[in-house]
Amino acid sequence: MACVPANVLTDVAMQRKYLWIVGLVAIVLVIAVPVVIFRPGAKAVTAAKSSDPWAGVPTHATHTDHKDIVKGPFDSPQAVTQSCLECHPDAADQVMHTTHWTWESDPMTVTWRTEPVTIGKKNQINNFCIGIQGNWKKCTSCHTGYGWADANFDFAESSNVDCLACHADTATYAKADYGLPAEGIDLVAAAQSVRMPTRDNCGKCHFDGGGGNGVKHGDLDESLLFPSASLDVHMGEYNFLCTDCHKTENHEIKGKLLADNLVIAPVEQVACTDCHDAKLHADERINLHTDSVACQTCHIPATALKDPTKVAWDWSTAGQDLPEDHYTYLKIKGSFVYENNYQPTYQWFNGSADYRYLLGDTFDPSRPLDLNPPAGDIQDPNAKIFPFKIHVAKQPYDVQNKTLLQPVTAGEGGFWSEFDWNKSFELATQYTGLPYSGEYGFAETHMYWPTTHMVQEKEKALQCADCHGSEGRMDWQALGYPGDPVEWGGRFNK
Amino acid sequence: MLQARLRKSTIKRLLIALATGALALGLALGVRSAAAADPAPAITPNPPPLHPTFRLLDAAGDSVLESGLPVSTMTTCGACHDTTFIEQHSFHADLGLSDFSADGLTLAQPWDKSRGAFGKWDPLTYRYLTPSGAQRPDLTTAEWLLTRGSRAPGGGPATTARNGAPLLSLAPDATNPESALLDANGELVAWDWQKSGVMEMNCFLCHLDNPDTQARSAAIAAGQFGWANTATLLATGVVTQSEAGYGWQPSAFGADGELVAGVLRIQDPTNENCATCHGVVHSGKEPLTLAACDLDAAQTATTGQVIAGQRIADSGLNLQDKATLSRAWDIHAERELKCTDCHYALNNPIHAQEAASARPSHLVYDPRRLEIGEYLERPNHDFARGESAQYTIDAEHKGSMRRCESCHNAESSHSSWLPYTDRHLSVLACESCHVPQLYAPALSSVDWTVLDAQGDGLRDCRGIEGSSTITGLVTGFQPVLMQRTNVDGKTLLAPYNLISSWYWVYDDPSGASYPVRLLDLQAVYFQDGSVQEGAYAPEIVAAFDADGDGLLTESELRIDSDAKRDLVAGRLAALGLANPRIEGQVQPYSINHNVARGEWATRDCTTCHHADSLVTQPIKLAGSTPGGVIPTFVSDANVAASGAIQPGAGGALYYQPQPQNDGIYIFGRTRINWVDWFGALAFVGVLLAVSLHGGLRFWSSLRRPRHGGATKRVYMYQAYERFWHWLQTFTIILLLFTGLIIHRPDMFGIFSFPYVVTVHNVLAAILVVNAGLSLFWHLAGGEIKQYIPRPYGFFDQAIVQTKYYLAGIFRGDEHPFEKTRDRHLNPLQQITYFGILNVLLPLQIISGALMWGVQQWPQYAAALGGLPLLAPFHSLVAWLFAAFIVGHAYLTTTGHAPLSGIEAMVTGWEEVDAHAVVPGAVVAEGRPDAASDPVSGSAPETKPGLRPSNA
Repeated sequence: MACVPANVLTDVAMQRKYLWIVGLVAIVLVIAVPVVIFRPGAKAVTAAKSSDPWAGVPTHATHTDHKDIVKGPFDSPQAVTQSCLECHPDAADQVMHTTHWTWESDPMTVTWRTEPVTIGKKNQINNFCIGIQGNWKKCTSCHTGYGWADANFDFAESSNVDCLACHADTATYAKADYGLPAEGIDLVAAAQSVRMPTRDNCGKCHFDGGGGNGVKHGDLDESLLFPSASLDVHMGEYNFLCTDCHKTENHEIKGKLLADNLVIAPVEQVACTDCHDAKLHADERINLHTDSVACQTCHIPATALKDPTKVAWDWSTAGQDLPEDHYTYLKIKGSFVYENNYQPTYQWFNGSADYRYLLGDTFDPSRPLDLNPPAGDIQDPNAKIFPFKIHVAKQPYDVQNKTLLQPVTAGEGGFWSEFDWNKSFELATQYTGLPYSGEYGFAETHMYWPTTHMVQEKEKALQCADCHGSEGRMDWQALGYPGDPVEWGGRFNK
Repeated sequence: MLQARLRKSTIKRLLIALATGALALGLALGVRSAAAADPAPAITPNPPPLHPTFRLLDAAGDSVLESGLPVSTMTTCGACHDTTFIEQHSFHADLGLSDFSADGLTLAQPWDKSRGAFGKWDPLTYRYLTPSGAQRPDLTTAEWLLTRGSRAPGGGPATTARNGAPLLSLAPDATNPESALLDANGELVAWDWQKSGVMEMNCFLCHLDNPDTQARSAAIAAGQFGWANTATLLATGVVTQSEAGYGWQPSAFGADGELVAGVLRIQDPTNENCATCHGVVHSGKEPLTLAACDLDAAQTATTGQVIAGQRIADSGLNLQDKATLSRAWDIHAERELKCTDCHYALNNPIHAQEAASARPSHLVYDPRRLEIGEYLERPNHDFARGESAQYTIDAEHKGSMRRCESCHNAESSHSSWLPYTDRHLSVLACESCHVPQLYAPALSSVDWTVLDAQGDGLRDCRGIEGSSTITGLVTGFQPVLMQRTNVDGKTLLAPYNLISSWYWVYDDPSGASYPVRLLDLQAVYFQDGSVQEGAYAPEIVAAFDADGDGLLTESELRIDSDAKRDLVAGRLAALGLANPRIEGQVQPYSINHNVARGEWATRDCTTCHHADSLVTQPIKLAGSTPGGVIPTFVSDANVAASGAIQPGAGGALYYQPQPQNDGIYIFGRTRINWVDWFGALAFVGVLLAVSLHGGLRFWSSLRRPRHGGATKRVYMYQAYERFWHWLQTFTIILLLFTGLIIHRPDMFGIFSFPYVVTVHNVLAAILVVNAGLSLFWHLAGGEIKQYIPRPYGFFDQAIVQTKYYLAGIFRGDEHPFEKTRDRHLNPLQQITYFGILNVLLPLQIISGALMWGVQQWPQYAAALGGLPLLAPFHSLVAWLFAAFIVGHAYLTTTGHAPLSGIEAMVTGWEEVDAHAVVPGAVVAEGRPDAASDPVSGSAPETKPGLRPSNA
């Protein structure tokens, strides 16, 4: 032992000198580790929510000011587009691949037709202004292009893409007949104002779809331009823009419309669960609802909260010299019913349509015709009870051929100028290719509009008694339940 | 189907628009779709009633349509249902008649004559039922019906005399309070039951979807008891009322004499049916409104409970912070539960459940049920009920209702976040946390010692500023928590409203006491003894009119001086009332409804575990104390009135709960003052002592030259010893600190209470494990010897050591005993550590473990006095530990150099004074086995004795 070298001794001494640090660390660990493991809520933390909705709350970056970039002057709107394409060469091509441009789907096969068909505004009809063929003058004022005046419009011409519709400040820009800029628009000012699309841009067409404010949707109208928190929690309280949920890549905007599609895959659609957990309620009883009840059902108790929405449109009374009023009767359009605080109708919905009336389809005019009934029923595990606005219309049909008729209205010689139904149908045959027997009537048609905006916070969401119990708004038996599930059990109650 | 989907109103409005257009044009164009004109079939909200149609019969069993007599429910419903059985099994019908005793039952008051509303005095309604032979009669049976009948469903005292004879058999008799009526002069006049008829148990009142309660009340108030049940049908159109009386409508009856189907919709009682008598029930979208403390809705008036699923924020009340109150008034109402879901007929085959004591313990569910037909024939109308504090009627059915835990698994919803879940659930009623606040006003006091201008007592409300719930400000109130004893003997803290009342009492000639009847009180207060004019007697005005304006306001109408009391007492005595005096009582009212879901329930620990604990929150009883009489709690409630009723600010009277009187110890709130004072004194005393000692040492060291005695370095502590010592040091200090936070959370607001409790428990577990391992180490290696004082010479050595600390140390003497590896504790340390480690530490571990174990094994803690004893003891020992640590830390500085002792415990090596020979000491330069130092774990690298020494 005596011959242990001195340097070893020193090393050992050094080791010992710092041994207390090891001891201290050991003591701290012995105390800290169990404390962390057993701390209150440790179990809850591991079961924490997987998604953070606050991550979806947008921060809107300031867009590059184009005032000094865009010079002008422009002698045509197409010149504006060409100017845009100098720096954004792919933009027009991207837009031209979207339905905002094509207004129709890719060809698809449907069970009730032998040939593949396309569905879209371009060739199908709705129960508002009915159809665009022959009526391009007015209808294409919402097209993202310039000059769609007839069936010969060149969809391959990139300079016809209207960049300004979505990107210009709506204070400087507006579209008119054939999608061309309205009279007196200063194209340079409009082009210099470009930025990311705002609610105003989208709202120009989507708030006023169907021919006026709040006509089509009920949950989308001009009240959302300056929304209060009580109107829509996302847009009102957190200033969401449309594109914050309708995420857009390469001008492809997420979200599909039930009216213009048949099968919609969930990935193509905007969903609450993009940001929110599917089972986020503190109350397990409410979470048990979410397999069968869409978020919208409880969180959108009513639409048309501020501006009324059109719920019924009767074309059969059009053409008369009755007192006119925007909300009840117009000679060119017929009779309307508008409703405020519209309580939706509830149906099973798996995201797709069961059927889409195609131009030329025959139907039974003695019963109301569903143009786009939502798909899903109580047996469908992917379907949920979903709120719809059902727009009821009476629109013309061919009494002998049992097909809906698409009149020429806005077009030359159309109903809006001549008030002659026969003439308007005959004029339309050249555009639609549909025969007209010469005998028309009016049939009741229904269109389904999924309700998904004007979302309310939990404090204003539906409560149990709104659906259950003697005063509930659900027609349980129509939904396929034997009775109120509170007493009869839910559909997964095996 | 599609048509059904289309909403009816849409169609309607479309049709209206269509019709307008068509009319204006004179139907010029006639293309109208048949489809749109075809209205959608209406969805009937109520399915067609299951109940078959039936004949309405009079008491004789003849069709009322033919006889024109009032309907008899007993014969009509009795055609299929056993109405006699039903009436006999219904405390709603009986209302105390069956145990009425003219001699009194002495429940809350000596003048209580039964357990139910028929005979038990209620200071809220004041007037009381007079037994026969009473000198000063108040309510007769007839007047009881006239004034209270609208809240009595009939049968029982409405048809039957106290001796069991039918009321109809009683002859009009002005001397019999069962067949007489008090007139305005206070004289009894005869009452003719044959003329008024009697009120059979009214099936329609609860089983009809639209009973005409107003018409019924009007018939009762008019003394037409026999027509009351018929009047209940007025809203159905089966019967109409005219100047001539009631007339049955032939159109409501079919050819066979039976009612047309659907005219009377018979159903299970709905919440609205129950609301007729009990309290505010509200459904639908219409904003809820209510009148503050309106005794017509008695349950709401006495407790603030409102049965409604509507969000409070959506109500029509002017509530404080209303916008934030997005919870429903009552979660069960919101979830579509009905009153009868919990308060079910006791033999209802769906719900019936024997008491646990009435079935074999292995049997969870007895499937042998009544057939539905048997049940419908003889449904027991005694309904399942809870453990209410205020209703003594039908006491044998208390606790028959299923309670929260019958439906809810509290364990599953609480154990993930609520520490000590079982403990909380075993001492707290669910309502204590889940009814944290009542949002409707409730009565707080009634003062019948004075009368307002209408001749009524003065009522005070809590939870509202002003009197209107719309123009005043509703604030709601926090119920007071009191300990309830269930029928099974289990005790729980539960929420209550307290209503105090004051009233005049006198002795009648028989020596029995009675409250002064209203008539006499009005005679005392009003001019000419009549309240009609609303004029107070001049003497009363003179005494009470403080501002001298000749008018008496409510604030002036208070007996707040002996003079006023004596004046009224004198006037009562002048009426012939002996020994008039003011008495007062406090009645607790159970709060079980208006339950809130978790996020609205009390879930912050410091709500209770804090100096301002909810459990000890006082509740204001009244703004004043009439006559200076402190009221007493009623004796017939199942609530421990263990707190104190004491005056507070502004002359108000408060009830201060004192849960410690109920054996309840609340961490963070309860403390025994002497324990804390004693412990703090011990701690501070030691601190002062060592400061003094240290100061003297420092002073003396300055006065004498440095004593350069011989020292040497000794390897004093092995690595494990150092490790366990410091681990113990950390845990004990942290335990003391966390324990202090648990004891006084109000002083350490930044710490999360549940977190600190958990840390304290985890630390305790570490301490126990550490102590156990080190005990094993000491035993296995024989080190334990160091701690065991050697009997031989121990006291001598202890005295030597004491002398050293008291004197020698200041002189710079050498330590009397050399500190060596094998003997590093001096005799004083030995005895101290022996005490600490063998007495204090085990005691602290055991008391702490028992306190921790109240969750799982409360019986062990209970055997040792429960928390009220264990917890203060644990605190006391903790104080002693704290004191010990101070002394211990100080004594470590008494070694060779102030820090050498601590250094030794860090490094293992200590510089000690080298002694020549010390009695009993083993001189050692190190340990032979030190080479196998357990911490360094390395091969023997040195022999400690070879280390260079300072010596």
